[in-house]
Amino acid sequence: MRRDLRLALLLLLSAALESNSMSPPGKPVLLGCRSPEKETFTCWWEPGPDGGLPTTHRLYYERERLEGIHECPDYQSAGKNSCFFDKNHTSIWVDYFLTVVAFNDLGNATSDPLKMDVMEIVKPDPPENVTLLVKDIEDSPHLHVGWQRPQNTDTESGWVTIKYKLRVKQENNKKWKEYMSGTQTHFSLYSVSPGVEYSVQVRCRLDHGFWSEWSNTSHVKIPDYLQDKRPFGILVSTLCVITFIATMCILVMKRKYLKKCFLPPVPGPKITGVDFTLLKSGPTEDAINSLNQNFPLMVAWKDQMEDYLIVTENDIGLEPHPFISQKRKNRSMFSSSGFCFHSEIQSQDSRLSLNEQEKAGKRNHEIQQFVKSNKSLSGTSLSNIEQTQQCSHKQQGTIINFGITEATQQSRSHHDNTVKPLTDSGYVDIRRHEENTEEVDVKTLQYSRVKEMNSDNTLILEKENVSRPGYMDVQRQENTEGYSRVKEVEGDSMIIVQKQILSSDTYYKETGLTGFSKVGVCAELDSGYVDTIPVTHLM
Amino acid sequence: MANRKNKAGKLFMSGSTLLYMAAVCSAVPVGDLLDRASQGSDTLHSLSTILSHELQDSHFPPIGRVIMPRPSMCHTSSLQTPNDKEQALQVSESDLLSLARSLLKAWKDPLVVLSNSANDLPHPAHNSISNKIQQLQEHSKSLGDGLDILSGKMGPGAQSISFLPYRGGNDIGQDKITKLTNFHFLLSCFRRDSHKIDSFLKVLRCRAANMC
Repeated sequence: MRRDLRLALLLLLSAALESNSMSPPGKPVLLGCRSPEKETFTCWWEPGPDGGLPTTHRLYYERERLEGIHECPDYQSAGKNSCFFDKNHTSIWVDYFLTVVAFNDLGNATSDPLKMDVMEIVKPDPPENVTLLVKDIEDSPHLHVGWQRPQNTDTESGWVTIKYKLRVKQENNKKWKEYMSGTQTHFSLYSVSPGVEYSVQVRCRLDHGFWSEWSNTSHVKIPDYLQDKRPFGILVSTLCVITFIATMCILVMKRKYLKKCFLPPVPGPKITGVDFTLLKSGPTEDAINSLNQNFPLMVAWKDQMEDYLIVTENDIGLEPHPFISQKRKNRSMFSSSGFCFHSEIQSQDSRLSLNEQEKAGKRNHEIQQFVKSNKSLSGTSLSNIEQTQQCSHKQQGTIINFGITEATQQSRSHHDNTVKPLTDSGYVDIRRHEENTEEVDVKTLQYSRVKEMNSDNTLILEKENVSRPGYMDVQRQENTEGYSRVKEVEGDSMIIVQKQILSSDTYYKETGLTGFSKVGVCAELDSGYVDTIPVTHLM
Repeated sequence: MANRKNKAGKLFMSGSTLLYMAAVCSAVPVGDLLDRASQGSDTLHSLSTILSHELQDSHFPPIGRVIMPRPSMCHTSSLQTPNDKEQALQVSESDLLSLARSLLKAWKDPLVVLSNSANDLPHPAHNSISNKIQQLQEHSKSLGDGLDILSGKMGPGAQSISFLPYRGGNDIGQDKITKLTNFHFLLSCFRRDSHKIDSFLKVLRCRAANMC
């Protein structure tokens, strides 16, 4: 008896001990259900405390328009504590009443029922294969987002209509911007900035059900199209800079030419017959003295209407120079300094004063020099017929007439006797015409020096047959007033002079080729004149 | 003679006018009509969903977890409709249209009852609810007219409509709980039926017009 009682007590104690750690399972909780495509659905529950014993859970459901209580067809496919209803077990527009029962050895527990309609639990899977493309990088870059519908949805039959939504975020920004896409599986984003990275996510929903989860984030960086154009821009700007620098260099180097071209020099005043270069050297004392001294002379010169000796070089032809035929009073003064000028005594000529002063000054100077250098000449009155080198190129209209003609047979010159009315001031007028127009240089002319003059009408010419211009000295009698016309020139050193006063009975003849020659008097009238000038005028 | 001629002329004119109008009406393709109709049904269902959520969230505990006392089945539950995709795809186009038209017509009277009850509904958002009920009525009417036109183009089967009378009467309850419960129940039935109509029309749109 006691043994049985003790055994019973022990058993009871053990049973009591064991029953303290074990209990029937707790009440499970149905979490919810979800249908991804309106064709199947899955339900999940959460088990309660298991009571220390292995517990199993079972889901039972009742359905509208279906008799009986049915158990979950599939506990495995959807994972632990879930029930998957396949297409055969899924009906729409009918109510389901679900319960989950937990079983263990000690008991069971039933969850609260859940009423649901498939129509209310539709939540699709997120869209798949989200692709990002940057298009039209050169013109207007935009981001093209493309995706695919969830694979288990059936849109071809129209059973489901999927609408999409995407959201975009810039890399630095935390705020998403959402865009509705409707039923299209692509979307173009035009407000993209180059050089920025964008993140894109897409989600969808069926009819008016729940939105799916966001798809995996896709990233893309918009290329900086300015960089593509940057080398081009650098090239263009470099070329422009180089061109500009080259242009500036050319302008600087050619500035003188440009100055000449755009700012031509203003021509200074120009007076015919006056050489400013000579003036620039500054007037010498002699010149100043001569200027001062010759003033009265000039006045006297003007009065002498007919006292002049014209030595002209006429390379135009046999015609008389036009301004001589116009009966101007021309005076040609010669000096040994190589200065030849042709003074025009005109009442209207305003240049006269300066010319006369200059020439008078020079002339006086030269005459004095000549007086010193020619000792052989005894005559006090000297009339110098000299021709200078500068005659020809000094004045363009210069006419150098030799009153004394020479009958030279030189090839280059053709002499002609021209008659010119001369005063009896003692000049010898030799007119020589140069047919050879090239030869303007007076250097080729021949000069004859008048050595002495015989009593009345004898002219001794000292001919120096030199190519260099020499001079012709005409030595005259002091009081001789009259013309002596040169009839002809014979040979190199023969001048036939005809004196008019003597009524053409006498002429001067010069004989001899070289050296001195004596001049004879010929008695012909109609030749050139030899004019005599009183020396007092020169002094 | 002149009278006869006048009468004949008038008959001729009226006949030609009718023919012309028929021609013009048939000129609109079925696909465009279906597309327009499915847009309308989509709006209808969206409105009803929003309305039921508005009613639920503020006042009631989540319906899914508590079995509401179900007074009866929906008055349109007697109508045999497909319950899954395979069944729905097997139904002919004209039958689908007929079902949609029947369902829509069945809600003409109950919507009036809902509209009347919404004003007195003991709910904080009863004004917004009443406004949405009115919108539901308008959309329902326009969709019904559109489906009537469609039925003329889809064959004789589309013309038949099942009669589904509403027998709940104007009174939805006396006390607050009953009112709200009945209101909610009616609304849930309408939400289901609007979803059916929407689904059928979208299937029709895909199949008949190849717009998928």
